[in-house]
Amino acid sequence: MRLPPQPRERIDRSQRILFTFDGKVVGGYAGDTIGSALFAHGQRIFSRSFKYHRPRGLLCCSGHCPNCLMTVDGVPNVRVCVEPIRDGAVVEPQNVWGSLERDVLSITDKIGGPFTPVGFYYRTMIRPRRLWPVYEKVLRNLAGLGRLRKDGAGHTRYDVEHRRARVLVVGGGEAGRAAALAAAALGPDVVLVDETADLVGHELEGVEVLAPARALGIWEGGLVPVVAGSVLHRFRAERIVVAAGALDQPLVFPGNDLVGVMLPGGVRRLVRDFAIAPGSRAVVIAAGEEDLEIAGELREVGVAVPEVVDLTSTPARRIEAHGRKGRVAAVSVDGRKVDCDLVVASAGRQPAYSLLAQAGARVEYDESRGIFVPTNLPAGVEAVGSVTGEDCVTVDPVRTTKGAGGDKCFVCVCEDVTTKDIARAIDEGFDSIELAKRYTTVTMGPCQGKLCQLASIRLYAQATGVGEAAVGTTTARPPWAPVELGVLAGRHFEPARRTSVHFRHEEAGARMMWAGPWKRPYAYGERPEDEVRAVHDSLGVIDVSTLGKILVEGPEAADLLERLYPNRFGDLRPGRIRYGVLTSDAGRIMDDGTVARLADDLYYVTTTSTGADSVTAWFEWWNAVWGYDAEIVNVTGALAALNLAGPRAREALGRLVDDPDVVSAESFRYLDAKALVVAGVPCLALRIGFVGELGYELHFPSPAGEHVWDRLVAEGARPFGLEPQRVLRLEKGHIIVGQDTDSESNLLSAGMQWLPKMDKDDFVGKLALEHFAERPERERLVGFRMEEDVLPVEGAQIVVEGRPAGRVTSARRSEAVGGVIGLAWLPPDRAEEGTRFEVRVDRRLVGARVAHGPFYDPAGERMRA
Amino acid sequence: MSVTLDFLSPSRCDPDVLVSPLARALAGIDPALVEDLSAQGKVEIRGDADRVEPAEGEELIRLTPRRAFLLTSDPLAAVERLRAAGVRAYDVTGGYAGFAVRGERLMRRLTDLDLERLPAAGPLFLRVPAIVLRDDGDRFRIYVAQELGHDVVLAVLDALDGLQALETAASSEGGA
Amino acid sequence: MSFLLECPRCGSRPVDEFAYFGEVTRRPKGSASLRELTEYVYFRDNVAGVQREWWQHRTGCGEWFLAERDTRTNEVLAIHLPQPERAQAGGAE
Ligand code: FES
Ligand SMILES: [Zn+2]
Repeated sequence: MRLPPQPRERIDRSQRILFTFDGKVVGGYAGDTIGSALFAHGQRIFSRSFKYHRPRGLLCCSGHCPNCLMTVDGVPNVRVCVEPIRDGAVVEPQNVWGSLERDVLSITDKIGGPFTPVGFYYRTMIRPRRLWPVYEKVLRNLAGLGRLRKDGAGHTRYDVEHRRARVLVVGGGEAGRAAALAAAALGPDVVLVDETADLVGHELEGVEVLAPARALGIWEGGLVPVVAGSVLHRFRAERIVVAAGALDQPLVFPGNDLVGVMLPGGVRRLVRDFAIAPGSRAVVIAAGEEDLEIAGELREVGVAVPEVVDLTSTPARRIEAHGRKGRVAAVSVDGRKVDCDLVVASAGRQPAYSLLAQAGARVEYDESRGIFVPTNLPAGVEAVGSVTGEDCVTVDPVRTTKGAGGDKCFVCVCEDVTTKDIARAIDEGFDSIELAKRYTTVTMGPCQGKLCQLASIRLYAQATGVGEAAVGTTTARPPWAPVELGVLAGRHFEPARRTSVHFRHEEAGARMMWAGPWKRPYAYGERPEDEVRAVHDSLGVIDVSTLGKILVEGPEAADLLERLYPNRFGDLRPGRIRYGVLTSDAGRIMDDGTVARLADDLYYVTTTSTGADSVTAWFEWWNAVWGYDAEIVNVTGALAALNLAGPRAREALGRLVDDPDVVSAESFRYLDAKALVVAGVPCLALRIGFVGELGYELHFPSPAGEHVWDRLVAEGARPFGLEPQRVLRLEKGHIIVGQDTDSESNLLSAGMQWLPKMDKDDFVGKLALEHFAERPERERLVGFRMEEDVLPVEGAQIVVEGRPAGRVTSARRSEAVGGVIGLAWLPPDRAEEGTRFEVRVDRRLVGARVAHGPFYDPAGERMRA
Repeated sequence: MSVTLDFLSPSRCDPDVLVSPLARALAGIDPALVEDLSAQGKVEIRGDADRVEPAEGEELIRLTPRRAFLLTSDPLAAVERLRAAGVRAYDVTGGYAGFAVRGERLMRRLTDLDLERLPAAGPLFLRVPAIVLRDDGDRFRIYVAQELGHDVVLAVLDALDGLQALETAASSEGGA
Repeated sequence: MSFLLECPRCGSRPVDEFAYFGEVTRRPKGSASLRELTEYVYFRDNVAGVQREWWQHRTGCGEWFLAERDTRTNEVLAIHLPQPERAQAGGAE
């Protein structure tokens, strides 16, 4: 039922829009909200309350309270009073067992039940402990705010838009619009954000209007995130003007939550914007001229208003609402009962200061006007209009706390907190407002204190007798308006680094796994051991493009590396390679890799797959301190790298180069670095042996990755993944930094005493190493063999004489060695070759023996072949 | 035996053997939406960038006084010319995926760089480092590490999708 | 943290583009007693006030620089490029 056309109505009566509500078709007009259309359709109960399942109707009609939360198109907790109507929307009530009109659980309102006492979940549900899972399940169903769809249907794309504004105005009321226009007259980039749809389609000269949209908070650097639909606009504003206005404050009296008890602003919206008469007989109880005017406005549209109570002129009055089936039927004022179906009740208007408080402003109590006002605004933030306290005044909202009918007085409709709950909390000793907030959850519901902060402070002040200013406010925290987590999370974007050969691995059926930031093949088939055997017996190829690759060039390149590494690199001849380990000044092992000298002033450094960025930054940082004339250029992505390994490697490579002699054993020796053209592609070939067989690491331009890979595979190289590579390197006793070492490991304990050159003047880690050398060793990294064919997990405990004495860092089953091998940290006195110890495997202790040196090809003849 | 930096340059290979890191992500996508520029030559310059004179058709992007990026159609010639002049130059063509897109609105969903102050280096989607250039009008070119290119471009396509959905919604509203 | 930091090359940019590398420390020269070493490696002043610290414009231009930041307010009072040890030594000659 609509009123005749109203002068400022927002609806377009020529455009019907249909949607379904609880399975039934409901119609409205363009310009309606889902809530206004439902109300016009006759719907009065919009939700059931949080604890007591009491029926609730439209209260504020401006998106501030919890009363109209529904599920729209699968999205829970949508405030339908501000949600624009749209064709075909599927709207469902939530937090209901049964229907909105007859909710089975409303029995909790009558008999109490587990929810009645304040702080119930802190007390009632803790014993017996084993029943908690059951309680939890039931509670989740009873209390609550809608449900998420578990099937993930209704996936939304959340996006972020990065914006800049010279002036950002939050709030599109009169003051906000005036401020925006004034700013626009002085320059460009003025944006106005308003949470209602009122300004949609309105032109404000020189101002960009973003509506409906909500500002979530104000952060350092003028950052204001604004939510508009599923897009988060991250504004960086030079100046921020808050014109958030003021909020109608509910009165506290018995039955104050009955359907039909509304705030003046909500009533006004229904009449003015949507041409709806909110009732037929109304009683107006308000403070201040503006709110009292609502009586006249209602009469104008034909609503009878038999009683108007001005709270400013008549202070103490007893008010009580009487309901029938949850809807208001009468209200008594000082014992006089007036029949009505609408009660417009308000204690006045309180500045909506939260955004400002949360930006750093102070909030002070203004005794004379009964309101909290923001002061001491942070730099760059201004406030205009009612949010400053202008035209705001409130009377004591707590009118009556006990009625003849015995109905509840709600302080907080979000969390169903009553005056009794607050009184009880104070009795129990929760006598500060911050404690009360946590104990009773007042101000913690969907309204974020917008409608209950003032009343609860007033109640506290009265009960404790300390005065509102001393009670103070609870801390304002963002977000100031509820926001979907998806909006905050933004686009799901976890980019993987993919090598230029990536899709070849996928095509070959590799099982891809995360390896740091990279996606790498775990293995190509179900049997990684077959891939291991191919490398030992014939030929394999692995994509090692993920290795960090850094060029160090300049006349002082050698000096820089000498000082970064414990190793010596000044004497490395061009065309030769040396293994290098990086340590920190605390002496811990940070990364390892090979260093090839390409020319007198040019080195090629490789790092672990996860180390490329951090080692580059580490080099750059030290050189920012030292200032050597050397460039550090990270070329990790520019180059693909493939390791061709196995007894047939030389022969296969020979067929892909112009002259097979260049790869002969004499001209391309172990630890040589050489320029080759392989299958027409210029390569840096490094002859190294991480996997223990004759092998060549080919580094060449990334875009040729698939081509070279294809040619090597065509030569009979079997692709092998990370898992077989781990077996192969373990057979050689090669460590993996970060797996076999940790933040305590140093070069001495890791068995690399030969590596640091202590006669160098300085290198990173030298100071610490000097001290390590003087201190007794605590543990040592050694190889071991299991006595039985059982595989310990990585991290398995080592037991000596019944006591924990160390841990396993790597273990694998090796066909070539014949048994289970691994690396472990052991006490130095247990690190002798052949010493027996025990490893905990599945609650059992299994024997193992220390075995020094590589397990496979100890003399290294195969990789040097 | 010294080794030169020839192994950095894809232009030394037969162009037919080279594959763009964006080839799969952009297969079947209209280049008017997202255009693959990965094959373009890129040279990283270190040292005194002021001494570098970009040749005809080259573009110099100065990141710091000691670090610059040269876009060129002939990276081999550029590196040779610069090295001869004593400038440290590296052919990093293979290291970056490049693509062009249109529209400020889209760009604001990719980066919080100030679009009025390009070229610049900064993050995409707040995480991925990129070099961003603006051409006449609303065409933007973006260069990211090639190993991240595939996923970045998929996200760009998704962002485009979101904007197009908006646009179609807006135009149908306007039409009704 | 959402404050803006001034990069000496790129100007004011969101702090998440930068990598923080801690307080500026004094590295012992030559050799160090265990005490000096521990002081240098593990101990930090952690002042509530102005602190000199290392930053890198990681996802931007890559420059390393020093900032003087008030740790209580995140206000950055000054930024400068480092004066490398070798340049200093050179200057002293
Ligand atoms: S009635 Fe919708 S939020 Fe208050
Ligand atoms: Zn920068």
